[in-house]
Amino acid sequence: MSSRSVFLARSQPMRLVIALPFLWLGVFFLLPLGLVLGIALGTNSPDSVPPVELGVDLASFRLLFTDDLYLAAWLSSLRIAAISTAVTLLLGYPMAYAIARAAPRRRPLLLMLVMLPFWTSFLIRIYAWMGLLSENGILNQVLRGSGLVADPGTILGTEWAIYLGIVYAYLPFMVLPLYAALEKLDWSLLEAASDLGARPSTAFLTVTLPLSLPGIVAGCLLVFIPAVGEFVIPDLLGGTQTLMIGKVLWDEFFTNSDWPLASAVAICLLVLLVGPILLFQRQQQRSLERRS
Amino acid sequence: MGEPIVKIVGVTKRFGAVEAVANVDLEIARGELFALLGGSGCGKTTLLRLLAGFERPDRGRILIDGQDMTGVPPHLRPINMMFQSYALFPHLDVAGNVAYGLKREGVARPEIATRVAEALALVKLDGLGTRRPSQLSGGQRQRVALARALVKRPKLLLLDEPLAALDRKLREDTRFELVRLQEQLGVTFVIVTHDQPEAMSMASRLAVMNAGRIVQTGTPHELYERPATRFVAGFIGIANILQTAPGRWLALRPEKIALSADRPATERAIAGTVVEVGYEGDRSLYRIALADGSTMRVAQTNVARARESAFKRGDNVWLGWSDDAGQVLHE
Amino acid sequence: MRLGLLACLLALAAGPAFAQKQVNVYNWSDYIAEDQLKAFTQQTGIKVNYTTYDSNEILDAKLRAGRSGYDVVVPTASPFLVRQLAAKLYQPLDKAKLKNLGNLDPKIMAALAKYDPGNAHAIPWMWGTIGIGYNVPEIRKRMINAPVDSLAMIFDPAIVSRFVDCGVMILDSPTDVFPAALKYLMLDPDSKNPEDLEKAAAVIKAIRPFIRKFHSSEYINALAGGDICLAFGFSGDVLQARERAAAAAEPRDIAYAIPNQGAMLWIDTAAIPKDALNPDAALRFLDFMMEPKVAAASSTLTRYANANVPATALLDKSISGNPWIYPPEGNRARLYTISAADAEQVRIRTRLWTAIKTGR
Repeated sequence: MSSRSVFLARSQPMRLVIALPFLWLGVFFLLPLGLVLGIALGTNSPDSVPPVELGVDLASFRLLFTDDLYLAAWLSSLRIAAISTAVTLLLGYPMAYAIARAAPRRRPLLLMLVMLPFWTSFLIRIYAWMGLLSENGILNQVLRGSGLVADPGTILGTEWAIYLGIVYAYLPFMVLPLYAALEKLDWSLLEAASDLGARPSTAFLTVTLPLSLPGIVAGCLLVFIPAVGEFVIPDLLGGTQTLMIGKVLWDEFFTNSDWPLASAVAICLLVLLVGPILLFQRQQQRSLERRS
Repeated sequence: MGEPIVKIVGVTKRFGAVEAVANVDLEIARGELFALLGGSGCGKTTLLRLLAGFERPDRGRILIDGQDMTGVPPHLRPINMMFQSYALFPHLDVAGNVAYGLKREGVARPEIATRVAEALALVKLDGLGTRRPSQLSGGQRQRVALARALVKRPKLLLLDEPLAALDRKLREDTRFELVRLQEQLGVTFVIVTHDQPEAMSMASRLAVMNAGRIVQTGTPHELYERPATRFVAGFIGIANILQTAPGRWLALRPEKIALSADRPATERAIAGTVVEVGYEGDRSLYRIALADGSTMRVAQTNVARARESAFKRGDNVWLGWSDDAGQVLHE
Repeated sequence: MRLGLLACLLALAAGPAFAQKQVNVYNWSDYIAEDQLKAFTQQTGIKVNYTTYDSNEILDAKLRAGRSGYDVVVPTASPFLVRQLAAKLYQPLDKAKLKNLGNLDPKIMAALAKYDPGNAHAIPWMWGTIGIGYNVPEIRKRMINAPVDSLAMIFDPAIVSRFVDCGVMILDSPTDVFPAALKYLMLDPDSKNPEDLEKAAAVIKAIRPFIRKFHSSEYINALAGGDICLAFGFSGDVLQARERAAAAAEPRDIAYAIPNQGAMLWIDTAAIPKDALNPDAALRFLDFMMEPKVAAASSTLTRYANANVPATALLDKSISGNPWIYPPEGNRARLYTISAADAEQVRIRTRLWTAIKTGR
């Protein structure tokens, strides 16, 4: 048997294994994406099924750039997602740090507690927040009952409620990659920093923080990207004054039945999010090279 | 001995029920290369970490250069440490690692550059400043760790098993390199090691630790020739321990015993049979069975080239030594 | 497209093997007395596969994606059924198989015929009005002579601003709120003229600061729970809130008013999608819906009026005699209906609505 045939015999199943993720991507990402792009390039045709006439018409995209509604919605979504991501990071980092420094036998329990909310439906948890935050909700009852605040106002229906909802719902997506990064951290590096004259805060900024950067980037992207397109949380917890791109897309698709315009919004949303993803991949690549 | 640089007074450190360091008193003189020697779990690393400030003593005091360091955090101690794992910062290049401590001191930029370059030259790593730790060999990493600790010009340098991660050949070269550096810089070194030949060959003085206590302190020669206990005698080099009376033993080094075919004229002589010959080139190490069933170990230098060893297995031999050849022990 | 894929899967699941044995009904949530579904299965041997939605838009999108897999759906006559009819999404009804057709209210049938000529594709199910729901003591506390039965209650900033502290909600639906604002301005509520819409938008913008939220269903719980004291919403929803509020540990008095300027009359209809897999079972289900006891039981549940004449006699007096559910003849004359808009008009309206809601 020649060495070449040995190589082939070994590589055939290997190739299949490698092809699987690509097949998955092709069927469940590229194909639907192609369909969405196809619809975006079509024209709205309310009286046909489906209500699209295929073709190559950039009118939908043109409208996106001429009507400032879409830009405003996009910027507003970015702002809300950015603030939520920052708050999630500030809350998630200490949590991940505490778990990573806890005794190894207690870590699985702590991690499970972080993931525990996933055992309940997302929608039910958001509805629970509505009950907590409404005018006569549990929070206000407690505030009034304690005599601390006579008229606490209502959080539900404000932008604060949106931040609260996003931070609450996405916190585990921040904590888990941060934990993964911090758990790998060699704690003797912090002793070395301290030995070389770094105060604990300086040691954190010069050692822990840069070494957990891949986790920070992963966590922030995992929160930021879905938060930009978030629809359910602003719809249920937020007020009507908050403009978000997810709501605009919903309106185009459902209220206006304008599939091409809705698809164009979706395509633009995707393109504008691909940037950060590529950035993230490059960062991952770099840290991988550094470690090897 | 002058004013000691390190003075450890009655220090005890417990981890749960275990007394890792038990009532230790120790003084280390300025400019010494001092070794803490002991098996694993003897408390030598804990003692080093107490000196560095990573652990706080439950009892006792630690003075460095006359100042009480007991409550002082590590970053405020005039001490630097070379970690067993080297603990190099993977996100900084070699120069960044070496400069780290100077930046924390607030040293001016140009001075940092000069001192980093000097430190790298000192450990013969000139020109490797822009490499990442991951791009270096084990020996190079060890030298970066050394440069990083030395560049701060500490009063005291702590080295935790500095040679353990190196391969054998490199280990022996580095031993002398460390001694040369220590003599050149005049900094006090405290080395923790479990490797007895390493401690013997490098240290000007050493302390042998066992079960959290210091068993004996002295120069390598003192510890080898005049061990205080059977433990020290057995731990440092090879010793034949002969019980001479109840509560009285004699520690006899193998090379202090003469081996001959006929009964020698020495003050002590005993007959035996060779049961094992260990040929080491320069010398041979014999195991001799005596009439009472015990065995003794005897070393003999191989002077003649013609034969491998002077005796072979099964030979009947005589062992002889003088009265002052061994050390009398009481515990 | 995911919807399309889903629809395909659904269609496969509802394969021909079960074609004679089941009917796939897609209805509003809480819109039929569910014990009646069991009765239907007992009566006919047809299994009812019952799923629900809570907005016309969701139903619309599923139908437009094609192959929805549903046999009976319940769209609102205007603007949804009209637009869907234009896209030929429904099949004509085989009236010979609908022996209960005679039970239906000729007046409602005539109103419906405006959208579905000859009532060829859809039968009316429930109907109601859009008006003012309010917490009686809370409103009185803030304004003793509040014009609760006038659109001024909602659209006059000087009045609605008094209720900011106890909370105001408005339907999140341009097709329901623009006509009311037009009516308030004494313009044609069915106007699609951009200038008229701009004027209506200006009215809504002026009251925007006093509105806590635009939402099409949250006001039921909010009114019942005392979170708000004023809502512009569907009659049946307000009445459901009224019942819940009366039964609460801390009872609240919620009332409904049909605005004296006139109110929108909406009709929800039942129809059979063109690609229904079980059209015969669907017809039997429609016929079943027209049985007086089924319509009566559902009205008792939903507090909406049904379009079934003999069913009225089966209803409790508190429902059939309730002017908020069955308005007296004089009030009925003031009810109006609206027609569908074309795609461009829809876009302009939605765009205006978004601008109003976000305060841009």
